[in-house]
Amino acid sequence: MKLLTHNMLTSHVKGVTKGYPLLIKATEVRVSEVEFNPNFVSRMIPKLEWSALVQAADGLGHLQDLPAELVTDYEKNEDFLRKVHRVLLEVEVLEGCLQCPESGREFPISRGVPNMLLNEDEA
Amino acid sequence: MSDSNCQCAALQFYCTAGNGMEPFLIQEVKTKLAAKDVDHIPGKVFFTTTFGIKQVRELKSAERLFLLLKRHSPLSAHTVKTPSGIQSRLMGDGSDWTRAVLSWRRLQRDLMMRSNCTLSVSLPGRKRKREEEEEKESGVEGSTCNGPNGTQKLGLEGERKELGLSKDHISSTEDSGSGNCVAGDKVEEDRIEGSCDGKTSTVSFRVSCRCSGALSRRFSPQDLSRIIGTAASRQLGWRVDLRKPDLEVNVYISDDHCVLGIPLLRLPLANRSYMKTTGLRSTIAWAMASLSDIKPGSCVIDPMCGVGTILLEAAHEYQDAFFLGLDIDESQLVKACQNVEFAKFGDRVQLLQSSSKDIPLPSCSVDAVVCDVPFGKKFGTKTDMAASLPVIVREMERVLRVGGTLVLLLSPQLSCLLKKSITPRPVPLHTQGEETEVGLVCDVDPFLTPSPFPSLQSLGYHRVSLGAIDALIHKYVKILTATTTLGGPD
Repeated sequence: MKLLTHNMLTSHVKGVTKGYPLLIKATEVRVSEVEFNPNFVSRMIPKLEWSALVQAADGLGHLQDLPAELVTDYEKNEDFLRKVHRVLLEVEVLEGCLQCPESGREFPISRGVPNMLLNEDEA
Repeated sequence: MSDSNCQCAALQFYCTAGNGMEPFLIQEVKTKLAAKDVDHIPGKVFFTTTFGIKQVRELKSAERLFLLLKRHSPLSAHTVKTPSGIQSRLMGDGSDWTRAVLSWRRLQRDLMMRSNCTLSVSLPGRKRKREEEEEKESGVEGSTCNGPNGTQKLGLEGERKELGLSKDHISSTEDSGSGNCVAGDKVEEDRIEGSCDGKTSTVSFRVSCRCSGALSRRFSPQDLSRIIGTAASRQLGWRVDLRKPDLEVNVYISDDHCVLGIPLLRLPLANRSYMKTTGLRSTIAWAMASLSDIKPGSCVIDPMCGVGTILLEAAHEYQDAFFLGLDIDESQLVKACQNVEFAKFGDRVQLLQSSSKDIPLPSCSVDAVVCDVPFGKKFGTKTDMAASLPVIVREMERVLRVGGTLVLLLSPQLSCLLKKSITPRPVPLHTQGEETEVGLVCDVDPFLTPSPFPSLQSLGYHRVSLGAIDALIHKYVKILTATTTLGGPD
């Protein structure tokens, strides 16, 4: 699971009203090089929940000095875009779990794919 | 269109297309190849373009690519009764044939420059073998209208089968086009046998003829292939070679059409080099993506992505968008993972195990939802898709942002069901309903029942063929709802 995906995910357990962001408990993290596409990264930034991204990156020890507040004019700031690229697309949680901040329900991540399936009584 | 290919660059091509795919292909050649003289008949789209073969071969909604040799007015069985009549009609003074082979040579060189042997133009014996298998298959199922035995979701084993199916389906289009569905009129196909005339020649060839309609009652495809092949070899000095010819001339004759062309690539365009495991037909997956209004920065999800065919087609076409595939089935996701890695889309296509009934995303968070909804045969053994569909569509509606696009592929049955529940509520229909209902003792007017999906507005339907069976592509846009009052009579 890459942090771009994590940034979108929310806990959907029945009754939960504040299921975002999910807490990452990683046991295996991989950082692999991905081709840098500045257009893609700068297009994705406005869609992000910035504070959730910073929190997730920090938790995994890959903050890359990202500022707590999103900088302005990032489209032309290649240095900044490369850092975001790193955090969004190169850092990947292979094993571990995601925890719902409200209910505490854990969703396992195995081989990089989060399992967000709910039991019948949770849906 | 007669002499437009005299200009150095512009060439006339045609592509075969699955049933219902012609509008997508027409749109595609116009936008990607600035095509002119675009015209179509069922199963084929004709166009002229100055773009090179490298661009032409990148077409996504077509099955096979041909260089047009000649498009003749239909051969009427009343006027063309003899072999020599057919020969003089199709050969003319031979200039079309000579010109076509010159263009073909040039394209051949352009293709060779890529030195990609897997896509080479040569026609080795293996192809012949494969086509014979296809013929056998079509011999078995070709003439009937294909019962519901086909699996609409072709698995990995289905590639070859799929080709066979697509051919069957094209045959059936042609049958219906000529209005002859009697078993004896089944489109057959064969190549010329023997009649090899050893003149000094510059090119070796074979003729592959498909014929339906009146002429097919007089001549078998073998006869026609032989007749045409003999004429070409006599008139142009081309050498007949059934095993390993330089080129093949495809002849397609029905009551309404007569088309001659040279296939340009050994593999169909619909075969994707970037796809490891094929799910849905790649052309249809591409068509669905093309309807999804994907823009740079779009976030697109497929809540039942299977092996990820639609997302991969979309990711290939739209470079700066993000794609998230969800599936409940782990084994499908494993294959989807391999597909994503194989295509090197790991950054832009990501995967998640989840039910389509409980998508773990916030409301109004995605720009497009695309989905090939399982038809309830292969995957739906546990759940009844007809019963689940409303829940699934409501969930898709929820995660879609206002203005976002929903594109679904549905079986005819599910399509009916969804159409019925999302009753379109245009004013004329509505008022008409009111008037006719007045005198009736009918409390429930179906036209006034609120839609279970109030914010989904239909943007049209496209019927496409999956080979053995048809399916419908539905397109919706999510609109802002004003607290769902219909303004009906009190």
